[in-house]
Amino acid sequence: MTKFWSIAFSVLAVGFFAVLIALFAVQSLPAWQHEGAGYVTKSRWFYRAHEFGALPMIYGTVAVAGVALLLAAPLGIASAIFTAEYLPRRMRLAVKVLIEMLAGIPSVVYGLLGILLLRDWVYELFTRFDISSGDTLLTAGVLLAVMILPTVVTFSDDALRSVPSAQRRAARSLGLTRAETIFAVSLRQGARGLISALLLGLGRALGETIAVFLVVGRQDNHLPERWLSLRPLIESGQTLTSKLGGSETNIAYGDPLHWAAMIGLGLLLLVIVAGTTIAGVWEKTAADA
Amino acid sequence: MHHLNLPLGLSLIAFAFTPIASADSLKINGSTTVNLPVAEAAENLRAEKKMEIQVDTQGGSSGGISMLGDGLVQIGMSSKPVSDEDRTKFPKVKFNEIHIGEDAVALVVSKDVWDGGTHALTKQQAKDIYEGKITNWKDVGGKPQKIVFFNKEPGRGTWEVFAHWAYGTPKNAPPVSLPEVGGNEETRNKVGATRGAISQLSSAWADGKKVFALGVKGDDGKVVMPTNDNIASHSYPMSRPLFLLTNGEPSGAAKMLVDYMLSTTGQALVRKHGYLSLDQLSSTAAK
Repeated sequence: MTKFWSIAFSVLAVGFFAVLIALFAVQSLPAWQHEGAGYVTKSRWFYRAHEFGALPMIYGTVAVAGVALLLAAPLGIASAIFTAEYLPRRMRLAVKVLIEMLAGIPSVVYGLLGILLLRDWVYELFTRFDISSGDTLLTAGVLLAVMILPTVVTFSDDALRSVPSAQRRAARSLGLTRAETIFAVSLRQGARGLISALLLGLGRALGETIAVFLVVGRQDNHLPERWLSLRPLIESGQTLTSKLGGSETNIAYGDPLHWAAMIGLGLLLLVIVAGTTIAGVWEKTAADA
Repeated sequence: MHHLNLPLGLSLIAFAFTPIASADSLKINGSTTVNLPVAEAAENLRAEKKMEIQVDTQGGSSGGISMLGDGLVQIGMSSKPVSDEDRTKFPKVKFNEIHIGEDAVALVVSKDVWDGGTHALTKQQAKDIYEGKITNWKDVGGKPQKIVFFNKEPGRGTWEVFAHWAYGTPKNAPPVSLPEVGGNEETRNKVGATRGAISQLSSAWADGKKVFALGVKGDDGKVVMPTNDNIASHSYPMSRPLFLLTNGEPSGAAKMLVDYMLSTTGQALVRKHGYLSLDQLSSTAAK
């Protein structure tokens, strides 16, 4: 009986996802027909002139999530090494529960913290670099790093714990120090699990809306003047999620082409997030096997 | 992973059958500008008449119009007239505009700009700043400081008033790339907290402490500030009507709220929030 229901609901879940993708694809069709590949390569989005180029938003999404991952990866993996390799079992569980509680905090709360503290800090810190306001890609990225940290820590911890203790003991008996054991055995054996942890964290960062919406500045049509520079990070930007969370969704309703273009953004987001998450789960399954 | 799907599936089904809200409550949505007096009126009606009223500001005026069009609310709040496009978008809906007051849009600046000596802009200067041709306050007579323009997001009545004034019609407004702000509260906070900031905002929200309303300088060099008299006499150019929107003639709970807004008490609320009430408009016009 349980087996029947679990299969039925699994099919339901997969079917739901397939219908979702199909629905988005069909609804966004007019935009793809109108713009072609330009929909993802053009940098101008002016709905009044029926120009829909989503590149700046794709850039914003990638930049913000990239910053988040860059900050959360070393911190998260280092914390996981501490909890998995150094803490005694009981302490480890207590710490893990605390960290997983952090993952459950609603994102709007993080967003308000971002407004309250982070925005002003960034604004003051970068004053000498001629920053325009505290709403920047960097602000959003740092905020996201804090938000995905629990995810990265707890999955990394699982990955490290799944490395068999026998391997560690063998390494120690060969004369390796504890630190050497971690680098030569735990990190190497747990690598796939760690990558999976990062991918799952990245998936969360890519899809986050409200917190980003509040601090990213929502500036359309803005691409960096120079790509290989840190300067663009302290400028405002727009992500796929902040665009979808804004007022344009209300306006688009009723104009089929504009609506299709907005739905297209949803489709892009769905594909990016689903791709990242599936890759993460894939790695995790491979690591667990 | 299979065992996870049972509770998830059940909660999805439960969610599908949860009623979203009770049917007999009055739902209102739209412009944050109109929201101020209306929310207070709703508060009073809830206390006095035990009415159930939900007031929301999703998507500003456009949100109000489209949600009324979709039948999701009984009253829309809008700080712009319903356009012909909106009417064709919702052919089954008879948009009824009920004028409850008037509001002025000002270009507001942060304290450092005001203290730096910029108190008014010409239309051309405002356009050049909007389009990024002027990027420093020193070019319009202020202290050297980079200009940061927070643009009201599309769909906001405030933005449309600005676009009408500067470009004749919103369609002629040139495409720009500027950081965007949403509601009045957000606009005021961001302008107040940023050096060299400027944005479009309901003049009622310019508190004269953190954000300051600029005057409009005519071709003759005469400056018109957004004062009540200037707004009522239409010598200040950026003003707009505040509307409650209903589908046809209002009835039931919707009619009670509309009548309340037009009563002396309701009009006092309009004035309390810094807008012009209907009698202020007609008395000045009669002068």
